[in-house]
Amino acid sequence: MSDAITPEVFHHLVELAALALDPQEAEYVRKQLNNQLKAIHELEAIPLDGSVAATSHGVPYTAQTSPALREDKWQPYRDPQGILAQAPDTSDSYIVVPDIPHTTLE
Amino acid sequence: MIEYEAVIGLETHIQLNTQTKIFCSCKADSWNDAPNTNICPVCCGLPGVLPVLNKAAVEKGVLLATAMHSEIRPLSFFDRKNYFYPDLPKGYQISQFDMSLAKGGYLDLPVPASASPDGKAYVRRVTISKLHLEEDAGKTKNAGGQRYVDFNRCGVPLVEMVTGPDLRTADEAAQYLTRLRQLLRWLGISEADMERGNLRCDANVSIRRKGETILNPKTEIKNVNSIENVREAIEHEIERQIREVEAGNRIFAWTLEWDEDAGVLRKMRSKETEADYRYFREPDLLPIRMDDTWKTAILAGFPELPLERRARFVSAYGLPEYDAEILTSERRLSDYFETAVKTYGGDPKRVSNWLMNDILRMLNDRGLTADQLKLGPAWLAELLKLIDAGTINISTGKSLLQKVEESGLSPAALVEKEGLAKVSDDAAIRAVAQEVLAENPREVEAFKGGKDTLMGWFVGQVMRKMRGKADPNIARQVLEELLK
Amino acid sequence: MELCDLSAHELALYLRQRRISAVEILESCLKRIESVDGRPGTLDSSPLTAEDEQKVHAFITLTPERARAQAEAVDRKIAAGEDPGPLAGVPFTVKDIFCVEGTPSTAASRILANFRAPYTATPVARMEAAGAIMLGKVNLDEFTYGSSNESSAFQPSPRNPWKLDRVPGGSSGGSTASVAAGEAPLSLGTDTAGSIRQPAAFCGVVGMKPTYGRVSRYGLIAFASSLDCPGPVARNVTDAALMMNAIAGADPHDSTAANVPVPDYLAALEQGVKGLRIGLSPDYFRITYPNLQNGTFETQPLPAEIETAVRRAADLLAAMGAEIVEGVPMPNTRFGIPAYFVISRVEAASNLHRFDGVKYGYRTPQPTNDLREMYRRSRGEGFGPQPKLRILMGMYVSAAQYSEQYYNRALRVRTLIRQDFDRAFDPSGPYRLNALLTPTTPTTAFKMAALYGDSVLMQYADQLTVPANHAGVPGVSLPGGLDSEGLPIGIQLLGPDYSEDVLLRIGRAYEEATETDPWRRVRPQALA
Repeated sequence: MSDAITPEVFHHLVELAALALDPQEAEYVRKQLNNQLKAIHELEAIPLDGSVAATSHGVPYTAQTSPALREDKWQPYRDPQGILAQAPDTSDSYIVVPDIPHTTLE
Repeated sequence: MIEYEAVIGLETHIQLNTQTKIFCSCKADSWNDAPNTNICPVCCGLPGVLPVLNKAAVEKGVLLATAMHSEIRPLSFFDRKNYFYPDLPKGYQISQFDMSLAKGGYLDLPVPASASPDGKAYVRRVTISKLHLEEDAGKTKNAGGQRYVDFNRCGVPLVEMVTGPDLRTADEAAQYLTRLRQLLRWLGISEADMERGNLRCDANVSIRRKGETILNPKTEIKNVNSIENVREAIEHEIERQIREVEAGNRIFAWTLEWDEDAGVLRKMRSKETEADYRYFREPDLLPIRMDDTWKTAILAGFPELPLERRARFVSAYGLPEYDAEILTSERRLSDYFETAVKTYGGDPKRVSNWLMNDILRMLNDRGLTADQLKLGPAWLAELLKLIDAGTINISTGKSLLQKVEESGLSPAALVEKEGLAKVSDDAAIRAVAQEVLAENPREVEAFKGGKDTLMGWFVGQVMRKMRGKADPNIARQVLEELLK
Repeated sequence: MELCDLSAHELALYLRQRRISAVEILESCLKRIESVDGRPGTLDSSPLTAEDEQKVHAFITLTPERARAQAEAVDRKIAAGEDPGPLAGVPFTVKDIFCVEGTPSTAASRILANFRAPYTATPVARMEAAGAIMLGKVNLDEFTYGSSNESSAFQPSPRNPWKLDRVPGGSSGGSTASVAAGEAPLSLGTDTAGSIRQPAAFCGVVGMKPTYGRVSRYGLIAFASSLDCPGPVARNVTDAALMMNAIAGADPHDSTAANVPVPDYLAALEQGVKGLRIGLSPDYFRITYPNLQNGTFETQPLPAEIETAVRRAADLLAAMGAEIVEGVPMPNTRFGIPAYFVISRVEAASNLHRFDGVKYGYRTPQPTNDLREMYRRSRGEGFGPQPKLRILMGMYVSAAQYSEQYYNRALRVRTLIRQDFDRAFDPSGPYRLNALLTPTTPTTAFKMAALYGDSVLMQYADQLTVPANHAGVPGVSLPGGLDSEGLPIGIQLLGPDYSEDVLLRIGRAYEEATETDPWRRVRPQALA
């Protein structure tokens, strides 16, 4: 069974995921992904008719067990500075990141 | 000559005017705040945080959906829309994909003659293809090759509403946005101010030969920050597409940006990653259960909508379209008018005239809304009745408007207090008229010598001496008699 | 016996009785840590020495000053005659996947190594509000991705106190190792596919995965949002119950924390098992592994010693009045891992999007003018191989063209797995069980480095625990003996939604029935 995740597909995924891997790591990870896909392949054998709906949480929530929605009342957070202090680069209370280089516009 | 028609769809993002953001308790409105001050761990996407849905955001969404004749789903779901951008701290936006709050809907858009290609008014049915809740992203600005990120706006509640490709002219698009803005303010769910970004619009534009039904590739126009600019930008784009097609070129699915200073469209950098957002159900939120009890509570007191009311003012009150349009432009003014008419009981057109001229001027001068006037609708009605009864004349009535507003006293009370009642007493007028004639012998002679126009002057003098309170008709009669 | 080896409920009692002080308890734990833990996990650490191999290495960040201040506060409260809380003076460790204000909250990853949380996770806050003393943050697989704790960016990674050449299990390896080694009587862990229960089995301690939504996830750095469950690790059932009392319950910060009343988990603990129906399933006495060469599934029986431990537990419970129901089918158990590969990866990839070097955590020191380059380098340098694996698999199976084939299909298989439990527990169904009794893991603790590198085999270590995560039902792993190599065997109880109190009660009965078993007197190698 040939690899579903070819080096090309793998490279594309890495792009999408905004990741970088060195060649060794990349080969190891790609191999593991293909192995995992073989295990995932098991799912295809399971007969699923239309009556089997998707479940996003195993435990069912009813109207009673679901928590109530939040009241629309302002509660200022006590320390916005503390959050900003976590940023690697700030300037005048803005968080600074490199820009996206623009292609020439017509 | 090939005739083309434009096919236009509008995608709007409406900032709801709730107190707080959609998933946390920071303020929804931070327009004037310093950057990164209106933030908390949740809206900044810190590790370990979770969203908690704002009830009011859902309720405002339901009001809008109802006004747009959409079907509210009993169970609706949030989904994650995944992509990377610095103004999106979680790396995904919580939005709604396939099971959104409402489904379908339409707006019957009246297009006035002035905006119609053939000068005849008509109605365009604009369908709604998407109506869902989502969270806003932050803001970025670029300077010197870097991007400056402000999270204050992250998490502000938005309704995204997308029309079908139903609009056919740039004017129609402008009309749609005007009506939408009116509706949003009418319902009290958004300030809907395009210049402040609480109503945003992207336009999808394509053209085809008139009579065709296919949809050709469309361009998307973004970053237009006023209704007039939307209209201009779309007009330019339609012209550009027609030019291209006539020259034998293809239309590409570009994203364009409107430069309002230069009055031109520019091609924007195309989205660099593919548009595969890998939507999946947001596991941190439970579905919205819109049961009948809740829905009924939200819709209790759902108002008559502006276009419906406009039609009713024409049919029930016999008002001209022009009046009805002004009197339903804003909800509080409209409610004022209706209350005044009901209290007055007389000709609605009379009330309309006073409202459109004097009251509206007063509101503009004082920067008030109709519900903030001390001169409320019942007092306006009272004032009109005083004029009808002959107790005061019209000019007294007009000056009373300001006096009531300043003093907070009713018209009747002021008339009494300041003795403003029209004097119809023959004897009193006669005495003053005799005074006037005695004091102005030259004018008397001139009048007797044939200068009839002086009668108006004599009446004016009597009115002046009587501080406007004289009944001018009686004054004239008396003077005529005395000058015989 | 040292104070640090006492149970939490004993410590709490003696403290209230003023026989000991909170500071004394703390000192005892700190002394034990000093003696057995060795150096804590750090980034870019030097290679393992022979001495390292004899230590437990449960910790990433020890917070002794903070703990001391808390202990002193408890002692002051007691002296003043105030109520210090039900867990007053009881030390606990926290899996470093929880944000605790002011402490490095790293998720055992370079990408958060410098992150000091500005807020505290709800379960931790509740423990501290009950008077418990946090000793510090313990190690885990990076972002909880793993079943051996070996994938941490903070090395040395924890070692199994029972045999120090073995893994403690994962991802809550630091939690279970710290409790097994007597460093603290309690630990707060998380369980997404078995990450509390499996290491609890490997380390011979009690580990509970509550019902999904029973304990707030606010402050838990997310792996798979629909599967993650914070839960207690302890050396005995009563302590686990005590901890559940403190942490369970709804939270306005968590929309998935259910609005279900919290019972007193201690109240019925000693009521015994008379009349309870406890099931055994053949599907849990088999283990399956994919044969990657020919793409088939191979089934093997459970190792005999593990099966024996489970069957013995069944016999003991029957002798105490429980009704054992054999042959309960749980046919979709074998699809737990394949479905998990899909669902957890989709959620994980999305949950890890926020680690982009922009607003917190690691940003690449390499200067660049390109935002995308900054993202790539920061994430490439900050994430270890396990997060990368999960992100990439998540991207693959959630892509639009595959989502029907993989993701939506997996969600429907999840429904089938849930239905197995619904049928087993249905009070008007064929089995009407109060609980299912199963082994916790397919093997006892394997050697360090034995499985690491084979991500499929590693994941399959969770095959007996993951179905409960899909279904959301609660489960607890109890120490059930030692194998011939002296390694702990875990037995597992699974129950209907919100039946933690019943599971604990059954566990308590089993504990009492085995109180005098010789294996309970054996000490782990680290404490010998």
